[in-house]
Amino acid sequence: MRKLTAFNGSRPLAKLTLLILFLSLGFISFRPPHSRASENANREPALLSIMQQELDRAMTALGKTDPAAYFVSYSVTEVVGSAIIANNGAITSAPSRHERVASISVRVGSRDFDNTHGGNRFASMSINIPLEDQPDAIARDLWLNTVRLYKQSAQTYQGVKTNTKVQAAEEDASPDFSTEEPSIAIGARAVPIKYDQQLWENKLRRYSAIFNKYPEIESSTLLLVADAPTKYFVSSEGGRVVTSRPLIRILAVATTHADDGMELARAETFEASSIEKLPPEQEIIARIEKIAIDLKQLRSAAVVEPFSGPALLSGRASAVFFHEVVGHRLEGQRQRGSDEGQTFTKKINQSVLPSFLSVEDDPTLRTIEGVELSGRYDYDEEGRPGERVELITNGILKQFLMSRLPVKGLLRSNGHGRAQVGMSPAGRQGNLIVRSSKAVPDGKLRAHLIAEIKKQKKPYGLYFEDIAGGFTLTMRGMPQSFQIRPLMVWRVYPDGRPDELVRGVDIIGTPLTALGRIMLTGQKLQVFNGECGAESGLVPVSAAAPAMLFSEIEVQKTAQGRNRPPILPPPGFEALPTSQTAPPTKQERR
Amino acid sequence: MLTRLMCIPFLLGCFACATLAQHGASDGSSTVSANDHGDPLLRAMLTELKRSQQKLQLGEFQRPYYIEYQLFEVRDYVADARLGALVRDRSSLSRFVHVLVRIGDYKRDSFFREGAGAVEVMPIENNELALRRQLWLATDKAYKVALNGLTAKEQMLKNLVADSTMPDDFSREQPVDSVLELPRLEAQVDKWKQILRSTSDLFRADAALESSMAGLQFRIVNRYYVNTEGTVTRHGNATYNVMFAGSGRAPDGTRLDRSHAYFVSKANELPKPEDIASETRKRIASFELLRKAPIIEDDYQGPVLLSADAATALIESVFVPNILGTRPAPSSSARVSGQYASYYKRRVLPDFFTVVDDPRPQKLDGLTLLGSYGVDDQGVRAEPITVVDQGILVNYLLGREPIRDFARSNGRGRRGLQGSPVPQISNLIFKAANGVSFEELKEKLIQMCRDQGRPYGYYVETTGQGLAPRLLWRVYVSDGRMELVRGAILNKIDTRMLRTDIIAAGNDRYIHHMPEPMPRSIVAPSLLFEDLEIKRAETPREKPPEYPAPLLSPRSQPEKVP
Repeated sequence: MRKLTAFNGSRPLAKLTLLILFLSLGFISFRPPHSRASENANREPALLSIMQQELDRAMTALGKTDPAAYFVSYSVTEVVGSAIIANNGAITSAPSRHERVASISVRVGSRDFDNTHGGNRFASMSINIPLEDQPDAIARDLWLNTVRLYKQSAQTYQGVKTNTKVQAAEEDASPDFSTEEPSIAIGARAVPIKYDQQLWENKLRRYSAIFNKYPEIESSTLLLVADAPTKYFVSSEGGRVVTSRPLIRILAVATTHADDGMELARAETFEASSIEKLPPEQEIIARIEKIAIDLKQLRSAAVVEPFSGPALLSGRASAVFFHEVVGHRLEGQRQRGSDEGQTFTKKINQSVLPSFLSVEDDPTLRTIEGVELSGRYDYDEEGRPGERVELITNGILKQFLMSRLPVKGLLRSNGHGRAQVGMSPAGRQGNLIVRSSKAVPDGKLRAHLIAEIKKQKKPYGLYFEDIAGGFTLTMRGMPQSFQIRPLMVWRVYPDGRPDELVRGVDIIGTPLTALGRIMLTGQKLQVFNGECGAESGLVPVSAAAPAMLFSEIEVQKTAQGRNRPPILPPPGFEALPTSQTAPPTKQERR
Repeated sequence: MLTRLMCIPFLLGCFACATLAQHGASDGSSTVSANDHGDPLLRAMLTELKRSQQKLQLGEFQRPYYIEYQLFEVRDYVADARLGALVRDRSSLSRFVHVLVRIGDYKRDSFFREGAGAVEVMPIENNELALRRQLWLATDKAYKVALNGLTAKEQMLKNLVADSTMPDDFSREQPVDSVLELPRLEAQVDKWKQILRSTSDLFRADAALESSMAGLQFRIVNRYYVNTEGTVTRHGNATYNVMFAGSGRAPDGTRLDRSHAYFVSKANELPKPEDIASETRKRIASFELLRKAPIIEDDYQGPVLLSADAATALIESVFVPNILGTRPAPSSSARVSGQYASYYKRRVLPDFFTVVDDPRPQKLDGLTLLGSYGVDDQGVRAEPITVVDQGILVNYLLGREPIRDFARSNGRGRRGLQGSPVPQISNLIFKAANGVSFEELKEKLIQMCRDQGRPYGYYVETTGQGLAPRLLWRVYVSDGRMELVRGAILNKIDTRMLRTDIIAAGNDRYIHHMPEPMPRSIVAPSLLFEDLEIKRAETPREKPPEYPAPLLSPRSQPEKVP
């Protein structure tokens, strides 16, 4: 299960609560990294030297034990961050945090066959280490946990060795760990993001109070997160990397229910690398207002009917669609292992998209159309430089998003081994970009849609204004289909009637067929920035694509939620009538 | 809070079969208090409570007969250090509310399964509209889950043989109005960070220890409570906890753990740094003694002396769960779910024991008692209760869920940060008539062993997890000398032993603190058991580390503050 999301999902209320708790639990009090000023900016950070020294000791010792470790790495992420959370005009929480999380990796055996083989890919350990550069205190934490992890890894290694002997030969006999040249890159450490606390608390109060005007809105939250992580990496191969990347994110989310119990949620994110680069306030306010207006409209929108016919996806919707349907299936580890769907595994150098489409993932790209990209990074979690990767060129599949887990024919990492702090890396997307050579000016797309509706003699077509990530089921044993979550979908009539909003839309069908039905695209790339969740945790990503015209998309009604809207009107609207929806009949309840 | 929020299903699928209104919504006498004591938080709570009481009803379904809000305001400061360096340093302020809606009546109501209420995060500012909006959402949710709870309850009862003696679901209680001043977090955190650094630094004295830490948690929990019976309460409590711990290994691979914790309710009562240091040094020194101590080889069954410290730990695990008036499963005819279900007015301890649960005192012998409060988490005043009178069980501790023979709460409905209120102790105090000095107890132990022809008896000084002794001494009959041994557990401790095997108690007392999930304390003297089993522990012995720990410098590097 994986998704690209700006906090839209099947259980918006639970998500919202999760989010708030996640933030309030994760944050700890602010304390700028110790002894920064006393160190020369060019000098190697003390923490890196401490890590290196302990790593050398570990490798020297564990390289000689039986079974021997052949690789050890330490990766420490130091986060100095803060957040402000507001609801309905009041602050709910204003946490700040400073923490250092060390992830330890110990590989036992050899590159060809080690303890991470088969189902044991995620075999790292993470711990909190001192915030202060006390060398022997940090070294002792690393030592104690390296020893623990080695014992586990050695045991796992013996286990997989035995298992492999009694099982049939695997289809993909690639090594378990790629051979790479170590990177050495000591970059600048992150500077804690400074902002005027009072000013921003006031802004969030104001933004969150926008929802107070709308009695239809149930829960809503405004969130500002400002994180400045610095990552320190050392490996027994000689890799030494210090890298940092600040991220500021404003998230606005609101939920409501239709009278039939359907849960409706809308969210907006604004992301930037510094406070100054956030969009101007009037744009933020306008987009928050739009959440409320969209929800109000969605509440009274008709439920979608099963339909199959032409559809236009906005650039943003296309970007999410490609992230889910194409991006996730191009992750390297997805091509290996009997549990994986392996949709694209044997399609290298074959056509998988219309020939006018190319897909790349470029973590080195900073902006598209002036929008900063959240999925950019210099080095991945395995210390590899992030590379621009041409995944699909003119419709032909070229390669996958590779971590250091090789797959048949692709033995090297291309710098896409990504993970949430404290988790084991896997091949993941960074900035996924879809480019088209069959593009028409964006202003003409609607005319093309209408022409196609007429040609197919359909009563209407669909315009997908916004899609959120849902679930892409790539595990074997599940149908090879995808379900993503269209949030704002309009019926477009060929006779000039105004567009009509519908709700409860689910796209159905198999991904490969759907991709073959893209007819043409718009010219302008639209960017979606968000968090993507998968087996290696949440990572910031971007997806960019032009608007796309599909000759056919199949939709059905989704079953989502049976919660009634609140009975009493919200405080401030006491005079409104209470909601007295009749209880559902048996048929309605299925 | 977390689990509750995730777990409450919001489905209203059973609507069609939920019972329709048969009763009046409330019994007419109950009413929301109009006195907010000038507190904006209480005002927002009372306003929304009143609106919900008057108007909350879905279609033809029953209206609530009872609604309560309990708002928690939690201010935490948490830090810890290892070997002189801070590892965690975090402060937080949060508010959340538990809303309970009951449908039906006091005899049979919706408090069942998912009908146990709803939780919502609350603003930390006193913005009335924002506060009321969260209360509005939580009340709506709680009412809907109550409708489902009632349906589930009725279906469950249908499958049981009707029992007219079944106690009511909810006790009737007098309204309480008790609004107190709230405590503030008063410790100087910078000073305490420094104390943590220096305390954790002391562990450098024993380089063979694998890990060690010094930590603190300063916590203020303020509780705001209102219900539709007219109760309004506001009170808070502060817990200042400082602790340290070390962990190492004996040469044979068995784990050795030592720790110590301080609990006080006022910042100025926290221990002095030099006292913490001396306690820390004492614990560190004990590791070397433990490493040298022999492992017990043979199982032992005979007289054992438990220190007051060890006795309180035993009481916590063997005695406390059984005096709580926790109602058993509906199919059971037992009085309570614990092992004392059939011991009401019967002997549970030797006749020289009287046990009182007393929430009134904040101190005993000048030391803090954590479990002190005036009104419980269901709005019921708490008075001292004699639980055991001269060895006879005379009371269970109850919240508002009645059990046979106990129709009313005795103010022990207590709630941690999550979940519903449950019966719990406050400060449970064991008093022994004719308590004797420790020396006399030790002499008695020796005498008993001599009479039984044993070369030695055992003295348990302190225990760790699962009542495994951390410091266990052999007391030799020949010369009274004590020898530290290790690697043992106390085997098969049960309520029968408390009833029949304690032959003497000390005149000393130890206060055992239990801060979670709600603050409680147990006070007890040393106990001499006639017959306890001490057995060799079967804990796995870890292999030694593959390579030695990094060198420890004798002292931490001074802070490089620019």
